[in-house]
Order: sequence, then structure tokens, then C-alpha cells
Amino acid sequence: MANGNAAEIGASISTFLTAKGVPPTKAWLHTFFSSVRLTTPVIALQQTALFQIRNADLQTSITRSASTLLPPGITDPATKEKHVRGPITVQVLDIEDIGRSRWSQVEALEAVDRGETTKGREVIRIVPEESGPDSTTLADAAKSSGPHKLLLQDASGAQAYAMEVLPLKGVGVQMSVGGKLVLRDFMVARGLILLEPRNVEVLGGKVEAWDKKWREEQKQRLKAKASIGEGG
Amino acid sequence: MPVARVNRVLCVAEKPSIAKAVANHLAGGQVTTRNVRGNPYVKNYEFQYTFQTWGACTVTMTSVLGHLLSHDFDARYKAWKSCDPSQLFEASIDDFVEESKQPLADNIQSQARYCQILYIWTDCDREGENIGTEIRSVAVKGNPSLSQPGKTVRARFSNIERAHIINAAGNPIALDEAQSNAVQSRIELDLRIGASFTRNLTLSVQPMLRQHFGNDDQGVISYGSCQFPTLGFVVERYLRVRNFVPETFWSIKVMHEKDRVKVNFRWARNHLFDRMVVVVLFERCLAAKTARVTKVQTKPTSKWKPLPLTTVELQKCGSTFLRLDSARVMQVAEGLYQKGWISYPRTETDQFDRDMDLRALVQKQTQGGDWAQFAQGLVDGGFSLPRSGRNNDKAHPPIHPVNFVNPTQLNQDEQRVHEFVVRRFLACCSEDARGSKTDISIVFGSELFSTSGLTVLERNYLDVYKYDRWTSSQELPRFQEGEVFEPTEALMSEGQTSPPGYLTEPELIALMDANGIGTDATMAEHISKIKERQYVETRARARGARQGDDDDGAASDGETAAGAAPAAGRGRGRGRARGRGGRGGGGGEDRGATNGMQEFIPTTLGVALVEGYENMGFEISLTKPFLRKEMELKMKAICEGRKTKAEVVHETIEQYRDVYVRTQQRLDTLRAAVRKYCFGENG
Repeated sequence: MANGNAAEIGASISTFLTAKGVPPTKAWLHTFFSSVRLTTPVIALQQTALFQIRNADLQTSITRSASTLLPPGITDPATKEKHVRGPITVQVLDIEDIGRSRWSQVEALEAVDRGETTKGREVIRIVPEESGPDSTTLADAAKSSGPHKLLLQDASGAQAYAMEVLPLKGVGVQMSVGGKLVLRDFMVARGLILLEPRNVEVLGGKVEAWDKKWREEQKQRLKAKASIGEGG
Repeated sequence: MPVARVNRVLCVAEKPSIAKAVANHLAGGQVTTRNVRGNPYVKNYEFQYTFQTWGACTVTMTSVLGHLLSHDFDARYKAWKSCDPSQLFEASIDDFVEESKQPLADNIQSQARYCQILYIWTDCDREGENIGTEIRSVAVKGNPSLSQPGKTVRARFSNIERAHIINAAGNPIALDEAQSNAVQSRIELDLRIGASFTRNLTLSVQPMLRQHFGNDDQGVISYGSCQFPTLGFVVERYLRVRNFVPETFWSIKVMHEKDRVKVNFRWARNHLFDRMVVVVLFERCLAAKTARVTKVQTKPTSKWKPLPLTTVELQKCGSTFLRLDSARVMQVAEGLYQKGWISYPRTETDQFDRDMDLRALVQKQTQGGDWAQFAQGLVDGGFSLPRSGRNNDKAHPPIHPVNFVNPTQLNQDEQRVHEFVVRRFLACCSEDARGSKTDISIVFGSELFSTSGLTVLERNYLDVYKYDRWTSSQELPRFQEGEVFEPTEALMSEGQTSPPGYLTEPELIALMDANGIGTDATMAEHISKIKERQYVETRARARGARQGDDDDGAASDGETAAGAAPAAGRGRGRGRARGRGGRGGGGGEDRGATNGMQEFIPTTLGVALVEGYENMGFEISLTKPFLRKEMELKMKAICEGRKTKAEVVHETIEQYRDVYVRTQQRLDTLRAAVRKYCFGENG
């Protein structure tokens, strides 16, 4: 393994990842190289690197600069509106469906726990009505999901809330925690980032440990929010 | 080719009233009536009749009173403590004629001796086929030749109107052994599983209840494979209501006054459960100042006339509109059928056969009643073919009026049920109601809002079917696409979700139907059973209590459809199971119509049973529908010849035996639940 070779490969991977919105730190690259064979074709290495960095905590994997971090003070509720050019890479720490009551989401999870989503064991609880060509059913309403509110974090650890103004593909409660998004050309209103398909690129990925914990605690979390929620 | 000449035919119906009606139709009035020794309700009607198949014959027409045979375990197993309950899965079962029915069996046996043909006139459903085979088995004792092919036949009929009966008499068919077998397997399974589980359950729990309450009042704690899932639905809804946590939601409301009309626009997102987000969105709307109309569309719309009437629908509507519980509705409907006013009330079919003469039936209803004029209108050109649903049990048509009867001839409950059947039928033969709907969408800031207006143009079926509502909304002012305006009022509003109500009977029936529990005939019985066993109680629903699901939606402006036509259920199988033991002879006493919508509340015992079994693990699921649903599907398979009775009984026993064993191992869970709910001890 020639050193020069490693440097070239390192540079090409760094360029590749930067173009994707996830510029790696030297430390991260170093760790990466220790886990791969340099004889592997560069294109494969690039893909592996992208895969790994997508599943890593941004705070320890990408470089911090004005072009990767959320501008300071954007979460300030006093600012009515602020436009941010980006691109800014963030990871998802939390996802919430704010279109349905927390309680109905708890009930849905409990039905899964009771085994009712296994084939053959479905229990039908909402009986559809048909009264005309325009009728919508209660079942339709219950199934609709979103919009979603996300808690995002940048590479410095700064957090901000975001909301789907228009539905985003790949975003929902099935989404993995730790997934990466690249935001461009977006509006922040009173500290809330407004997301639309045209300003979000979903890179994907997942931080296994966070995601596991999130899912384990999901029911508890929803219950807690439901009880607090009634206070207004 | 008949070798021996046919001189005498023995006809046997399921109930005395049917026997009498059929006899009179065929005999044209020349009937000799004889008593049957030992039973005051059943008679033998003798007359002459010329059959298409056999020529001129002497006919004896008699009946039974529901099932002729009873089934129970061999004497060794009858006493509760005589054996381990699990032995009942294999214990031998005796078929015998119960003492009270002996005179009927004797009558059939002796009459059979002189006849060359046995003609079965039991109701045409699965139970009827089974009763038919029971009758045959008794008749064969008096006359073995009746077991030969072609010697026992059955009539196919759906109502007791004269022409229909005469037509049926001329076209006998064979008994359907497959359907009879399906019923027999159900009887055997219900007996084995019901008895073993009931004994086990009672022996495990009854002592602790008696001891705790210090008396011997606690009766048998029964298990039934339909009862338990029915109870399960009630308890589940009860717990949902009790555990419900109300949540606040926020919404944006936009109102604009134009041409002196106040138009309310509804937010496309309906409402959201995060205040901060709504505040932000609301502020952005206000910042935009003006709203723009993105769509104005007026198009015709309609409210569909109802589907032809099935038993499940009748029960649901009976509860909702007639304030009669399902058991009472069926009792009244059965009476109307026996008197010849309506067709057979146990049916899953919601489509009328193409060759049925519906116009003639409509014509009959022009003779009187509040609907006479409407019926005349249909005859004069307003007639329209009924909608077809997806279900056809191939045994009976949808419930419909067969003859005209002056309502004054009926008692109060009969009048209401009869009226409903007639109005429903006439509605089926009318046109859909027609209207015009205008939808307007606007964009305000980044948010979308809409409103709609409805103008009812032709009421059509609504004029006779007073159980549906459809009214015009206020008229909307004219808007144009692209129009920009500053909304008169934009506000943020707040609301709270509220719990669903406890289960009402129509909801329970709908759930049972959708989940394959019970058949249309038995649903009312299962409901009665859980009341009888004191697993649930009913009470009148408080005024203004919510119905349906939670997540309060703001009432939509524009069209409202109060008392919407109840859902069309999914047909599951081809038959009905019911215990038709002793419902002949004396008519049902008037229990008095129930008043107001009743809701079901489980008793502490009911909750303890469901929770106890639930906690044993979901693979057991005695209180969930799927075990019973599987059984019903297997019954259907027997009817269709895809499975034999032996296979089904064996498979199902093995399935339940497995559940039995697991239940045995986890009885403590059940006892803990009883302690928690019945004794109030901390779980």
C-alpha cells in the first residue's frame, strides 16, 4: 500500500462525499481507511464511505464550517422570517406525526403489540360506510399520516425544529433516526424550519443505537406527550 | 322412473304456521285438520293435491318445532365432576329425541308408514337442511324405503305467498347433505368446545367468586366461541373509553363574507396537534394578507338509494331507527314472514334477481298505507332498478314485502318493522337523490382551505325513505378562479379530542359482521347470551354523548348526513346457525320496545374474563374474533364440498385443545384478573 496512493484515494473520497453534502473530517477518513482494503476499486470505496458516513453521528464525522452548520440564532422565535441558502447537512433526531392525536397513535402501536397486524389476525374496528360517490370514510381519516415535525441537528450539535409544509418522500414515522438531510434555499419562520420537496434532499442513513432506542421508547413518549398536551 | 305409484305424500314443515299456510295454498281450502297426540301446537293437515311430479295424491302436511333431535354427552360424562373437562373433546355424543319432542317424532314416524314420498318444507337455510335430515332419520324408522334416492325431497321457497308456494311444490329438489353436515359439525364443535371450556372456566373461577361474596348466587360462567369475541368487542371499547386521554388540537379558520353570505372555509390540514406549528403557519397566512381562489367547480352529485335489505341491515336499522333491539326485531320480522307479509327475514343477499317481478311487488303497495302515493308514482314511470350489493347467499332474496297488508291489522311493533321493510323496498326501486355540489378551494399564505355547498335538486327515494337525511346547505356566493380577496376573518381556534361512546347495538352488530362472528341469524342470540350471563349490561345512552370514533373533527359546513345509511356488511358464508329448539307454537310475548339508544357496559366479571384471557397471550385469543372466523370459514368449506365434516371437526378440536392446554397452564392469570376486577384488589 503506497502512501501516495492512499492520499489520492483519500482526496477522491473526500471530494465525492463533499459533493454529496457530507464533507468528512480527517479523523473520520482515517478511521474509515482502517476498516477497508485500499485495493478495492475507488468507486466501491466511495459508495462504502457514503454508506458509513450516512450512518454516523454528524458531530464526529463531518467538518464544521459556515457551509455545513445551521446559522446561529435561527431558532430565535423573535425573528419572524429568515431565508437560508445552505446547503446544510442535518441529521434527524426525532420525528412526530402532528396530524393525528398521540393517543390514536398509541392505540395503533398497541394493536401491533397485540398481534393484530399479523395476517389472519386483523381485527376490523372501523366499518366503512357508503352513502354516495363523494363519501370519505373514518378509516381514511385514521390512516392519513402527517404532516411531520422533525427535530434536526447539525454537525456542531445545534438543534432546530422543522416541519413538512408539503409532504416529503421518505419522511415519516418509519424513517430512521439519525437519517441525513441536505437543506438548500429554505425559510425559517419564528425558529421553525419549513421543509418542502424542492429544498430538501433526503440522503438517508440511520444511527443504529439512536434508532433502536427511539423505537423502544416511542409508545412511552407518545403517552407522555398526550398527557401534557391536554394542558394546551 | 317411479316404479311404484305414488299415492301419499308426507310434507313436514319447520313450524306449524308454515304447515298451515302451505296446506291451505295447495288444498285451495279443502283441508281436514287433525290433532297430534301429545302436542297442542302441531296439527296434521290432510288434503288432495295433484303434483307435477307424482300426479294426484293424498297429502298429509305436518310440522316440527325447530330441531327434532338433541345432542348431549353419554351419561358417563354428563356430571361436571365426572371427568376432566378435556376428555369432552373425545367423549361420545348421543343423538336423541328429547322428551317434549317425542310426540312430534312419533307422529312423523307413524305418518311415514303410509307414504311413498317424504317432502321436506323446512326453511331454506343450513339449519333447515339439517332439520330436514333429522326428520328424514325419524321417518325412515317408520318407513325404510324413504331413504332410497328420490324418495325424500325438499321444497325451495322464500316466502309463503300463494303462487310462490305452488311453484315450489311443483319443483322439488334434493336435500343438501353438505349443508346439513356443516350444521352437524357446528353442533358437535359447539358442544365439545363449549362444554369443556365452560366446565373448566366455571370450576376454576366460580369457587373463588362464591367464597368472596359469601353466597351461592354465582351461576355458571359459560364459554362460547361466539360469545367471547362478542364480549371482547364490548370490553375493548369500554377500556378504550376509560383509558382515553383527551388532547388539544389547533386549527385555522377562515371566514369571508360576500354578497351578504358568510362563507366558512375549512383548513385542508383539518387540525394539528402542535400549537407552535399552527401559530407559525397562521402568522404566515396573515402576512400574505390576501387569499386567492384556486378552484371553483360545480358538478352533479347524488346520494345513493339504499341497498336491498339483509338481516344484518335490518337489525342495525331496527336499533337505530325503530328503537327495537336486534332480538326483538328478528322476532317481529319472523312473525311477519309467517303471516305472509314479508319474505324470509334471514338472508345475506343484497341483490335482487334479474327475473324477479319487482314492479308487481311495487304495484301491491299502491293499495294503501302512507306510501301508497309514492308507490303509484313508481308504477307510473318512476321505477328504477335496485342497486346490487356484493352478497348473494343463493338461498333467499333480500327482505321485501310480499303482499299488501293494512297496517291497522298489525300491532305496534309489527307496524314499525313492516313499514321499514316496505319503505326500504320502495326506496330500492326509486332513483338516487340528485343534487349539485360546488367546491371552492383557496390558497391563503402557504395554506389551503376549501368549502362546499350542496343544493338538493331531486329528493327521489328520500321522499319514501324517511330514515336518511340530505339537505341543501346555504347557498354559496359566486366565486371565480383567480379571484383575490382579503378574508373577513381569520382565526386560530382550539378544540379537544373526545372519547368514543360505549358500543351501541348497531355498532356491535357491524363489528361482528365485519369480523365474521356469528351469522346473520345468530348475532342477536350471541348478544342476548352475554346479557343473560351477566357479562354485560345495557343502559340508555346519555343525550349528546358522542357516537363513533374519537378525534373530533369540526363539523363540515355544506352537506350533512345525519343518520347516514348504515354500512353494507361483508357476506361471509352461506348459512345461519341458530338454536331453533323451542320457538314454535305460542307467539312471543310483547317485551315492550326498548326506548332510546342502548349502549353496552361490561360487568366486572366480563372485564375480568377478557383481561384474564388476553393476558394469557395473544396466540390464545379466545376473546378475539379470528378463531371463530376460521371456524365459520370451515363451515363454508363443508357446504361447498371442499372439506369433510370429519376433517373440520378434527382440525378445530386440535386447535382448541391446544388453546385449552395453554389456558390450563395460565389459569393464575385469569384468577388474578378476577381478583383485580371483581374483588377490587390491586392488580
